[in-house]
Amino acid sequence: MATLFQRVFSGNDAVYGLTEGIIDKAIEQYGEEKAVSFPGTAYSLPCYYAVTGTKVTNLKELKEALGVVKTLMTRENELNDVFMSGVATALCAEFIEVIKYIDGATPYEEPCYGHLGDPVIRELGVPLVTGDIPGVAVILGSAPTAEQGVALVKSYQAQGILVTLVGGIIDQCQEMGYKTGANVRVIPLGKDVTSVIHVVSVAIRAALIFGNVTPGDAGALMTYTKDRVPAFVNAFEPLDDVIVACGAGAIALGFPVITNDDKDVPPIPKSLIIQKDVDKWNATSLEARDIKIKITNIDIPVAFASAFEGEIIRKGDMQVEFDGSRVDCVELVSMKELSEVEDHKIELIGPDIDEFEVGSKHSIAYVVEVAGKSMQADFEPVFERKFHSYLNCIEGVMHTGQRDMIRIRISKEAFNAGFRAKHLGEVLYAQVKNEFEAVVDKCQVKIYTNPEDCTKMRHEVAIPIFDKRDERLASMTDEAVPVYYSCIMCQAFSPSHVCVVTPERLGLCGAVSWFDAKATHELQPNGPCQVVTKERCIDERIGEYEDVNEIVKKLSQGALEDVSLYSIMEKPMTSCGCFECICGIEPFSNGVCIANREYAGATPLGMTFSELASMTGGGVQTPGFMGHGKHFIASKKFMKAEGGVARIVWMPKELKEQVRENLDKTAKELYGIDNFSDMIGDETIATDPEELVAFLTEKGHPALGMDPMM
Amino acid sequence: MPFNRKPQKFSASIKEVEIGCGEKAIKIGGASVFPFYTFDGDEGNAPKVGVEISDMGLEHASEGVKAYYAGASTMAEIAKKAAEMPGGDFVVLRLEGGDPNGANKSIEELVAVAKEVADAIDAPLVVEGCKNVEKDSELLPKIAEALQGKNVLLMSAKEEDYKAIGAAAGLAYNQKVGAESADDINLAKQLNVVLTQLGVAPESIVMNVGTAAVGYGFDYVISTMDRVRAAALSQDDKMLQMPIIAPVASETWSVKESTASEEDAPGWGSVEERGVSMEVQTAAACLVSGSDAVILKHPQSVATISKMIKELM
Amino acid sequence: MALTGIQIFKMTPKKNCKECGCPTCMAFSMKVAQGAMDISACPHMSEDALAQLSEATAPPMKTIKVGTGDNEYSLGGETVLYRHEKTFVSKTRYAASVCTCMDDAAIDARLASVSAVDYERIGERMYTELVYVNYAKDTDSAKYVELVKKAAATGRTLVLGCKCPETAKAALDVCKDAKPVLNGADASNYEEMSKIATEAGVVLGVSGANLDELYDTTAALEKLGNKNLVLDVTMGSVKETFEAAVSVRRAAVKDTDRTFGYPSIVNLAALVQGDKPMQQALAALFTMKYGSIVVVEEMDYAMALPLYGLRQNLFTDPQKPMKVAPGIYPLNGADENSICLTTVDFALTYFLVSGELERSGIPCNLVISDAGGLSVLTAWAAGKLSSTSISTYIKEEVEGKVKSRKLIIPGKVAVLKGDLEAKLPGWEIIVAPLEAVQLVKFLKDMQANGQL
Repeated sequence: MATLFQRVFSGNDAVYGLTEGIIDKAIEQYGEEKAVSFPGTAYSLPCYYAVTGTKVTNLKELKEALGVVKTLMTRENELNDVFMSGVATALCAEFIEVIKYIDGATPYEEPCYGHLGDPVIRELGVPLVTGDIPGVAVILGSAPTAEQGVALVKSYQAQGILVTLVGGIIDQCQEMGYKTGANVRVIPLGKDVTSVIHVVSVAIRAALIFGNVTPGDAGALMTYTKDRVPAFVNAFEPLDDVIVACGAGAIALGFPVITNDDKDVPPIPKSLIIQKDVDKWNATSLEARDIKIKITNIDIPVAFASAFEGEIIRKGDMQVEFDGSRVDCVELVSMKELSEVEDHKIELIGPDIDEFEVGSKHSIAYVVEVAGKSMQADFEPVFERKFHSYLNCIEGVMHTGQRDMIRIRISKEAFNAGFRAKHLGEVLYAQVKNEFEAVVDKCQVKIYTNPEDCTKMRHEVAIPIFDKRDERLASMTDEAVPVYYSCIMCQAFSPSHVCVVTPERLGLCGAVSWFDAKATHELQPNGPCQVVTKERCIDERIGEYEDVNEIVKKLSQGALEDVSLYSIMEKPMTSCGCFECICGIEPFSNGVCIANREYAGATPLGMTFSELASMTGGGVQTPGFMGHGKHFIASKKFMKAEGGVARIVWMPKELKEQVRENLDKTAKELYGIDNFSDMIGDETIATDPEELVAFLTEKGHPALGMDPMM
Repeated sequence: MPFNRKPQKFSASIKEVEIGCGEKAIKIGGASVFPFYTFDGDEGNAPKVGVEISDMGLEHASEGVKAYYAGASTMAEIAKKAAEMPGGDFVVLRLEGGDPNGANKSIEELVAVAKEVADAIDAPLVVEGCKNVEKDSELLPKIAEALQGKNVLLMSAKEEDYKAIGAAAGLAYNQKVGAESADDINLAKQLNVVLTQLGVAPESIVMNVGTAAVGYGFDYVISTMDRVRAAALSQDDKMLQMPIIAPVASETWSVKESTASEEDAPGWGSVEERGVSMEVQTAAACLVSGSDAVILKHPQSVATISKMIKELM
Repeated sequence: MALTGIQIFKMTPKKNCKECGCPTCMAFSMKVAQGAMDISACPHMSEDALAQLSEATAPPMKTIKVGTGDNEYSLGGETVLYRHEKTFVSKTRYAASVCTCMDDAAIDARLASVSAVDYERIGERMYTELVYVNYAKDTDSAKYVELVKKAAATGRTLVLGCKCPETAKAALDVCKDAKPVLNGADASNYEEMSKIATEAGVVLGVSGANLDELYDTTAALEKLGNKNLVLDVTMGSVKETFEAAVSVRRAAVKDTDRTFGYPSIVNLAALVQGDKPMQQALAALFTMKYGSIVVVEEMDYAMALPLYGLRQNLFTDPQKPMKVAPGIYPLNGADENSICLTTVDFALTYFLVSGELERSGIPCNLVISDAGGLSVLTAWAAGKLSSTSISTYIKEEVEGKVKSRKLIIPGKVAVLKGDLEAKLPGWEIIVAPLEAVQLVKFLKDMQANGQL
């Protein structure tokens, strides 16, 4: 590191000396009282003002300011000294530049802009804040060839990134006849390295205007530029000490520097990156600065819209079909390391659609590989479940099923329009990137069409993963996770209702599992699902926690004070209106009856599903009654406080068949009872309490012998 | 034994937001009790009444509205009359002509209209876009820029375009930001959260939590406003303490009750009277649910509602 | 604190005798807990339990019935202050008013107007339910009785605004069988008035110069054993009246002060006499804030259309969406050749979609089938809006009446297109945009492209 320190210090010293000389000379020429200012700004010398809170108006004050800058130039050989010297270098550059404007001079002429006025910043600031300008590139020096330089500029421009140019690159653009100017968002600043301060000035005023940063609060300033101004520096070799010192300033503001100079430049991870291949600078810079480019256009030859979601492609209209029920097919999302994924790489391995006979059936396997700093393997199935809707929105493509039971048909029309296998990849790429922007940094798609590859992908890769996922889901317990999630999606209908979603207790609508809630939270941090901690247990038996109560109280706007997670009698969780099932206490058999939404008939409770719903819904606690999802029935946490699933005495036959397998398993594990479902009544056995009790007695149902429920 | 009064007093209150400048500037919000519950405590600023005009002129206005603006032909003249309307506190310019599915006026043209209106009056100004998200996200930032220093309220930033409008109005040009959501307390809150995360000061935000004409899903409006106000006061929820503005006129003047001609609806009586009654009743219901400002069109409605507010405060 | 169903159940005989009309004691208990049934419906309840439960399950605000037969109305019985907490149960009833101070022509015109407003809105009959007959000071008692007779001839339930005991007695003699309200008790006459009302078997209205006086008079009446009351909260000013309306309801519901646990009357005809727009504003205001009976001078369509719409919205179950009746709704002068669009019967969706369609000016038939009153996506997810539900309805109800064979379906259920094409041979199924606001452009584009 010593080399870098020395280089920064030496560059800083050189610029300081230069600045001092220029200021002294100006004072000599114009006198101390001579005004100094940049045109079109209310922020004096914006960088100096922002860092110190002091406005400089004349040469005398400028000289004093230089004294302040000197105090930043400490030499303790700590990283902080390097950064502060970088900042000092930047401030010196601002001083040098302001003197260029002295006496109303216009130091910059076409195509260079030099200083940019406040109106430009307000105008650029809005798209910067909205992300319409996803980043700001500062390109400094001369590219190895003019072609490479222009290609780099062009690559950023195509992504909507604002490009500023300093030094030789300006000449290279001119040489190639490349159009520049603020209107095309490629802004040549100036040919001296000090003109780089004009883009720094933009970033800093953005912090003052858009970040409400108080001038003089250097800490807040640097936090803002680091977090909110997505700028980065591309510096071509050779880097002299002055540029290195300026680079230190950029890094201090949070802007990474990418260079192809590897002589005496020690890399700093994420901050100073050496990439010899200039063609890779775009990708390197975007990754270093965490810039994500929005995909506005999906590059396919047919339309993509939800209007096509319901399109059915009949046999006669079909070009080819991939049919997972006949041959090996599979779709999969797989999480990878960032280094393993090349963004937007769509790879077809095997023959394309045009090599297949019209109307024929084939294998297909496509794997969407994603990587991201916030990506988690738990999101894989969440993305995967969206594939159905993504692919169906393609005009002329029909998709059914999921996992290895998929079927895809591609119409002749789509084929004739030029639709090929890789376009499936384009759609998956674009949709996954757009919809899951918050967690997906990079995405690539591999499409296999050789039968042997598909067989391998299905049986050796995908199925083990699916099994593992299912196993994880099945074995996940409430105790095994650190937090739960709240869900208030239904509050529009049920103002005070709050679902607490745990691994063993999914949302009562049956549609929100703990994983879904978790993914919703990560993707939409301010959305309907929030983290619920469960550190302060009040009563383990009924599953009551102080922290859960606090959140429920907050999210129900005070309507609910406390809830238990595992009891139906004491502080039961409320219900909105969209529950799949309701269970209610049946006092004569000392158990509960469950009715599902589809069941319209009578129950031994003397109430139908809809009567029960009207009493249970609306976010009100109704002890003895509770809405829940179907999956919850077989959970070990199902009314755990009252003794668990052994309390279930009745449910509609259809529902019983749906949950039989899992319920029997749970009963076996909890109580050693075989075929527990057979002990449970249904509408073919009894719909009034007396007959039900008779049936339960005959079967020896455990609920009859349990503690009274009330 | 006298009646034992149990006032609902809250330590929290609705934020005050100032719109406009100079002597005519208005403040909305500030209440620490439920709407018009002056007997409980401090009601803050009296609710304010806005007078709506449109860049499309008076062509589709009712006879009574036309009569009021008689003689005014330019937008400046119309704006002046609006600012003078008895009972009105501020002027609302709706740039409905910007709708790409309608007149599709250019941004430059609409900015010019906004400038003309702003320059003609010293009353506080609210500018509403055309409701098309793409157009508004371009238009409203330009309006914010053109009207710098006027402290106008721009309506509205929605979930889809809050960044562009919030950043321009709330950050770059120091105007006030209208935050519009559709009849859902959580969506309203979420929008305020993301706007403040963007850097917009909570004191610069006015909410439009969704409104409707009475009879047209107004149940959702009532419950949303009731709940927002309750959460703001009783739960001290800072992200719901922004004052609420309800654009009533744009909802009520397009429903059947206000538009069906006397020939089409025999027995219903004067179409003008029906329109006014729809506007007046919707406004009254919005105010008592928690709106701190309502936007109206007809001079009779403006006079009636402002009188009602005075009597209740 | 209200009792839960479980707590009530514990006190029932647990016999499932079904004599109360419920199949089980549990079901009965739940209904009582909800306030949907009275505990006295159980014939086997022990005296002890009955007494205990009556007190605990008594609603904070009494339900008072006025009128008879088809004109009988329940007032009060509310348990919450906000509609999102729980459905409001007794909707505001409106009265037009006549007064002995009016001349005969004005009276006749007013009474004739009472029947003019009578229409249906989303399955609910909207009309002027009550007539308020006011006895102005220093007018002839006989004239009042005549006026009451005239008003009774409208067939509407009456509210007699009369503080003079003799006159009130005379008026009641001609109309008491129709169970009018006698709104006439105050601090000066309550004993006498109470006696008259009780003898006639009618509800007594109580008023006071201020809240305290109203409270004291009501307490005194209760002491006399009269709990068949409504409270006239009309005070000297709009502000005081608003305070009174809110305070009375809040005291009853939130602070369980049972003295104020009665329905209320707000008399706008007296409060803002002659100011029609202000009556409109305040009628809405006091519908929102706790008027059980709101009296206006005249109920015309201008007043009624918004007011009844507001009331309909306010008194809906927040958990149960409002529904429109299934049917073909021709818009913009549509005929049998006009294109069809379909959406769900959720009232809000219907209004939104029909509003946009009307804005487009393009003749079209909006086809509404039963989707359980849910929004498009919810109905689809619940299986209430499916290719089967739509195609069945189209085949049974539409094909015979409409010749067009083009059907536009909501963009959010584009998935139904293929199935619908299969189930509705001969129909062209077109997918609409995702949002209703995009419909105008969508239809206009179709028109421009000659697709209509």
